[in-house]
Amino acid sequence: MTGDKKQVHTHKLGIYLWIWTLLFVFSFFSYMVDYLNYQGLLRWSLIVFFMLAKAGFIMAIFMHLYWERWAIVNVLLWPMTAIGVFIAIMAAESYYTFFSRMFYFVVGS
Amino acid sequence: MTDEYTDNKIETKSADSSSGSYSPPVEKIPAQEAPDQELYHAKSFWTKWVFCQDAKVIGIQYALTATAIGMIGLILSWGMRLQLGFPETFSFLGPATYYQSVTMHGMIMVIYLLTALFLGGFGNYLIPLMVGARDMVFPYVNMVSYWMFLVAVLVLIASFFVPGGPTGAGWTLYPPQAILPGTPGSEMGIVLMLVSLSLFVIGFTMGGLNYVITILQSRTRGMTLMRMPLTIWGIFTATVLALLAFPALFVACIMMTLDNLLGTSFFMPEIFTMGEKLDYAGGSPILFQHLFWFFGHPEVYIVALPAFGIVSDLISVHARKNVFGYRMMVWAIVIIGALSFIVWAHHMYVSGMNPWFGFFFATTTLIIAVPTAIKVYNWVLTLWRGNIHLTIPMLFSLGFIVTFVNGGITGLFLGNVIIDVPLSDTYFVVAHFHMVMGIAPLMVVFGAIYHWYPLITGRHLNQTLGKIHFWVTFVGAYAIYFPMHYLGFIGVPRRYFEMYDSPYMTSGVGLNQFITVAALIVGFTQFLFLYNIFTSWYKGETSERNPWKANSLEWHTPDYPPTHGNFGKELPVVYRWPYDFSVPGSDKEYIPQDVPPSQVPTAKAEQT
Amino acid sequence: MSQFDIEKLPKGSKGFMYDWGSDQRAFKGVPWGKAMMWIFLLSDTFIFSCFLISLMTARASTVVPWPPTSDVFALTVFGVELPLLLIAIMTFVLITSSGTMAIAVKYGYEKNRKLCGWFLLATAIGGLTFVGMQAFEWSKLIFHDGVRPWSNPFGAEQFGAFFFMVTGFHGTHVSIGVIFLFIFARKVFRGDFDTGRRGYFTSMKSDYEAIEILGLYWHFVDLVWVFIFAFFYLW
Repeated sequence: MTGDKKQVHTHKLGIYLWIWTLLFVFSFFSYMVDYLNYQGLLRWSLIVFFMLAKAGFIMAIFMHLYWERWAIVNVLLWPMTAIGVFIAIMAAESYYTFFSRMFYFVVGS
Repeated sequence: MTDEYTDNKIETKSADSSSGSYSPPVEKIPAQEAPDQELYHAKSFWTKWVFCQDAKVIGIQYALTATAIGMIGLILSWGMRLQLGFPETFSFLGPATYYQSVTMHGMIMVIYLLTALFLGGFGNYLIPLMVGARDMVFPYVNMVSYWMFLVAVLVLIASFFVPGGPTGAGWTLYPPQAILPGTPGSEMGIVLMLVSLSLFVIGFTMGGLNYVITILQSRTRGMTLMRMPLTIWGIFTATVLALLAFPALFVACIMMTLDNLLGTSFFMPEIFTMGEKLDYAGGSPILFQHLFWFFGHPEVYIVALPAFGIVSDLISVHARKNVFGYRMMVWAIVIIGALSFIVWAHHMYVSGMNPWFGFFFATTTLIIAVPTAIKVYNWVLTLWRGNIHLTIPMLFSLGFIVTFVNGGITGLFLGNVIIDVPLSDTYFVVAHFHMVMGIAPLMVVFGAIYHWYPLITGRHLNQTLGKIHFWVTFVGAYAIYFPMHYLGFIGVPRRYFEMYDSPYMTSGVGLNQFITVAALIVGFTQFLFLYNIFTSWYKGETSERNPWKANSLEWHTPDYPPTHGNFGKELPVVYRWPYDFSVPGSDKEYIPQDVPPSQVPTAKAEQT
Repeated sequence: MSQFDIEKLPKGSKGFMYDWGSDQRAFKGVPWGKAMMWIFLLSDTFIFSCFLISLMTARASTVVPWPPTSDVFALTVFGVELPLLLIAIMTFVLITSSGTMAIAVKYGYEKNRKLCGWFLLATAIGGLTFVGMQAFEWSKLIFHDGVRPWSNPFGAEQFGAFFFMVTGFHGTHVSIGVIFLFIFARKVFRGDFDTGRRGYFTSMKSDYEAIEILGLYWHFVDLVWVFIFAFFYLW
């Protein structure tokens, strides 16, 4: 629908293979986090870091977002703030639920 | 910078020297970026009128289906009012029937009538015409969207005929009571409701993607975003909200269906019913409320924003004046849309959520009042010193402004935690949301139908019936909902089947009867309106082309009413916003969007 | 009036302002179908986000211990118990298929019919393998470990409910993707995208853009799996 004269950019095969390898490496690392049985803050931060790195590479390179114009990139990323607020609120809410459950189940009413 | 500056100077000089008066800016319209859309041409009766891919026909299909199910919602409200006004009088109304009527009335009106009518009906009909496209970008998907909607409606209707009847859990469907015995329709009714909602979301997503992409990617040459009619802005933002908010409803529906059918405990805590311990354990009912209102609050604006947009256009056209503060209006719509995602828990002040949330959500809620108030001021300022024609669309628009201000101000009360706590779950809340997202958007729907009916059919609606319709609806709506505020203040709780001999109901009994009578009259008037629509279709006074002298593209198609492909051979080119009414210096009273500056050389129109 | 040339437009934040202030298209050079798929994926992201947020709420507020996922999903290979082994292999397979998909899109745009078709087929087979392993995982959990949506022997009963719902919903996405991959592989081999043959349902002309749109969907499925892997299995 963009017409025949459209110049289609294709990228070199190398970059896909390179990102592909990186994804394997990151998956392997996040697997190792579990295998080596890291716990606590170290575990969470490593897991989230590898997750976001993988997600970023998939979106930027495989889904070509890196080469898209800012108009569409912004449209796709800004709505995530609503999800961010939702996550924050629900985290606070679930701790409160946990607190009230402990309070009423254990301490008793 | 310097180059630009000198260039401008030279241009101004030469313009001044040549004509000595205001000279129109150069007509700079970019070239077409992509070849024209290829259209599907129907070959048979079936593909032309039934499984039709033309957005205009799909819009009418949506509108008719939504109206049909909306009439069922209206009749259900009569059942409720009869019970509340004259308890123990009608044998066909028991507690179960009452709760089922309440639930189905709410769900039908909010989702299946208003959402479908504004976005599916008006959206489909107006978007391609107003942005200068031949059709929606994916007509086939658009068609499937309507049929999904129809299936959703049929599933909803089917729930009236299953054992146990439709669900009576209230339109919010809160667990655990929604799926426990004792609530009417907890067997099959609730399942069909959840399935119907899920189907609606799927169907709507197909349509919504079409609306968004058509507006973003399929505008005609010269149609910048800031030259779009506010109608389109309202529908666009509402559709974006719907695409991002309906997922939460969809997820909540799936999880509750699983709770009901499989016995999972997403929302179900450990619970005893009729002395028996159920198998549920450890679920969180409040999670459902969060999911539901994460959808539910944007839903309010899904209904309100198209109304905001359409009413701006109606006021501008019928007051022959440009919209005051167009850009402000656009930004207000966008900001309201964005904020609507972070206010949801103001519906849950008394739910037992984390008490610290009250502060956050009350603050964000009250911030939303700012862009909303800006819009109201701008509507009033658009009317100010305008050439107001008291046509029926204008009457309804005026009715909308008054009603919306009323409903909005009670919203400020309810947005504050300390005022909400005593008022929540009373008739004050019922009055508030009916004013602000029931009556106000419906006023716009009616106004819009009177406005665009000539475009669709080539005929006018009957004016006398229209005036009766407006006055009865407008005055009647106040007769219904003003007393409800008072009922709320004296503490009458909503959703109660009957108040029996409550001591504080003495003054409420007469009011309840009054409200019921008013509601019956207003309801009957809507049937008069339907009669008007159907008879005027073939008997109405023929309308000339562009009867309201509007500027937007939909009135300037080569065929009137517009036919398949909308714009004939060549797509129009847009040079201005759609609000060039009574432009100073112009000999024309209005300048349509596709008139180039060279044709109106004397008009001192600002560049938009 | 000059021909439209995307290369001459401003880029970056200036391009952002330019694009939104322009006429006709807000997303310059983005075909309709691709824009539609992007917005759909945004909507779908909200669905999966809501699932995962619900999971977070259930886990953070449960008073019954949450089952230890790395032990529940462990496999014993040659007498050694390896935690999350199957999940790791599934991740490997899905990422592989994502890579082949990206290469298929590249060859599609280069109108390399054969290679595009073969890589699509490889992607489809990768997806099929994933679904197969998921079926194995489900059956192991149901028949061997006795995990049910309404209860399980390890701890909080929301564990089974969320497991079946979230992976089931993701698996449905993968399955739909696999079906479309096979259909499109056939179309590529038949040369539909070179001849512009008309679609059976939509009667619109086929174009290699369709491969990229399908690719977006497939990468999204992979993306979701990254989040599920982190939040459900590892967390």
